[in-house]
Amino acid sequence: MIKTEELTRKFGDFIAVDHLNLQIVRGEIFGFLGANGAGKTTTIRMLCGLLMPSSGRIWVNNLDVAKEGEKVKKSIGYMSQRFSLYQDLKAKENLEFYAGVYATPRAEAWENTLPLLEQFGLKESLNMRTAELPMGYKQRLSLVCALVHNPPLVILDEPTSGVDPQARREFWQVINQLAFAGKTVLVSTHFMDEAEYCHRVIIMQAGKEVALGPPRELKQRFEVQNMQELFMKVAGGINAKLK
Amino acid sequence: MKGLGVLSTFIKKEFRQIMRSREMLLVLFLLPAIQLLVMGFAVTNEVKHIDISFFDLDRSIQSRRLMEAFSSTDRFHLVEVGEQDRPELQLFRWKSKVVIVIPAGFERKLAQGRIPALQLLLDGIDGNTASIANAYVQSCVKGFTEGYLRGKDPRRVGYMLQGQKASEIIIQMSFNPDLQSNLNIIPGIIAVLVTVTSMLLSAISLVKEKELGTLEQLLVTPVKKYQLLIGKILPYLLITLLQLQVAVLLAGLIFGIRVAGSYWVLTLFSIVYLFTSLGFGIFISTRVESQQQAMFFSWFMMVIMILLSGFFVPVQNMPQGVRWVSFANPLTHYMTVLREIVVKGSGLMQLKEELLVLLGGGMLVFGFGILSFRKRV
Repeated sequence: MIKTEELTRKFGDFIAVDHLNLQIVRGEIFGFLGANGAGKTTTIRMLCGLLMPSSGRIWVNNLDVAKEGEKVKKSIGYMSQRFSLYQDLKAKENLEFYAGVYATPRAEAWENTLPLLEQFGLKESLNMRTAELPMGYKQRLSLVCALVHNPPLVILDEPTSGVDPQARREFWQVINQLAFAGKTVLVSTHFMDEAEYCHRVIIMQAGKEVALGPPRELKQRFEVQNMQELFMKVAGGINAKLK
Repeated sequence: MKGLGVLSTFIKKEFRQIMRSREMLLVLFLLPAIQLLVMGFAVTNEVKHIDISFFDLDRSIQSRRLMEAFSSTDRFHLVEVGEQDRPELQLFRWKSKVVIVIPAGFERKLAQGRIPALQLLLDGIDGNTASIANAYVQSCVKGFTEGYLRGKDPRRVGYMLQGQKASEIIIQMSFNPDLQSNLNIIPGIIAVLVTVTSMLLSAISLVKEKELGTLEQLLVTPVKKYQLLIGKILPYLLITLLQLQVAVLLAGLIFGIRVAGSYWVLTLFSIVYLFTSLGFGIFISTRVESQQQAMFFSWFMMVIMILLSGFFVPVQNMPQGVRWVSFANPLTHYMTVLREIVVKGSGLMQLKEELLVLLGGGMLVFGFGILSFRKRV
């Protein structure tokens, strides 16, 4: 589904992403872990075509992102870490807007989103102004808006920051369902307990891959009990040195 | 067809947002009304109620008549002077703007057919008002002299009459016979309004998307940048045109100013001009990060544009270098065109040069805005 080859992005002298090679298959839940500034968001932004790589290549769905960006964009549903729906529109109007933007016929858009809206308990709030929704619901609405065109690839940049634990669990249930339905899901997160839900994770530091694999395998390899310890062991090194 | 669908999605959304934002509606409809009212009544070149004081050293019938000539118009307001007052101090103490000293022997000289001298002191701090007051004084004195000569024996005062009538200039003011400053100011206000609304609102609405992160969300969708831009800009073009109608309507209702020329020519020119001001809006939005910055830059540009547009100061009065800048200022041309159409009733044929200038400028600025948007966003 996604393949990157020596993917690199520099901002001046600063190397945000350093020769990253990834291969993510269909139906996989792939997690990006790393401290702030490790290069997660930069990588994700390049995958969606928001940022041009300094060097290296990306294929999404066997399409070269640099050459066929428009086609690639149709197959991606993206939810950014900042809440970015129109607060002055009603929830329903936001959905309609994104359906229009993706040129998805109205009936199809409803078909794609109705089960989710029901599951999220959003159906009753469709006529509310987005600004009036509680934070957790806004987050859910963002996800639904990202899925309005039924994309095969879903990219979620820290989707659960600022959401209470109950809502987080529900959110992950939906992510699992999506993967089960054959969608590829890319998630970046700060929460190590969430990392356990991923099929595979990459731990990044200073733009480089420091660990990559299924959580269970990684825990065995580094001889740790949970992801938290794993993270501290592989990514905490530099911080320890700084002290 | 698909492209059109995306576009209409954008336009629908933009109008929904505008209609829901109270600030936006205020800017759109209340602002023009207030600006027209306040500026239409307050900004005027006509000078009224000028404080004037007389030092009558003659104390005769004729000197009193002269003063009456001044007090009978609303252009002057007579200030009483006491025994202690002195002419120069009247100006210095802000008691009056104009002082006239009538020398002793005024009436005698008139009766003898000699031309008596009057001393006129003007407060020159506000040069415009002073020169206008000067002109009013001249015409009042002239009226008085003519009144005096009438009914007198022409042989006795004959040479005076000859002196005055040697070559008389008969003045005819075309298009605005009463020199009503409204006729000049109101089209100017409309031009300013159109600029303010389109530039400010388009810049703010684009930057708002940037600030809220919705722009980023849009950029991961297959929407093309031109669709995004048209979808954002077109609503403001339509709204500004609507505002223009409101302003023209109000100008008619409140000030009785009717558009002398073709209404359609006015609209055509406005559309052409809007490409420039919307282009500036787009350009500003690509250079700033927040709505406050957009506001600041828009106002900065607009103040310069308005000052150099000939709105308050005629372009001909400016030094050569500034005149070039003023020529490059699109608002100058739009303002000229509006005045021509509203006051003079000029048609498209007379204005075709201005049309070309505005069209060229519009394409340049708009193109530049789009390029900058494509590169930066």
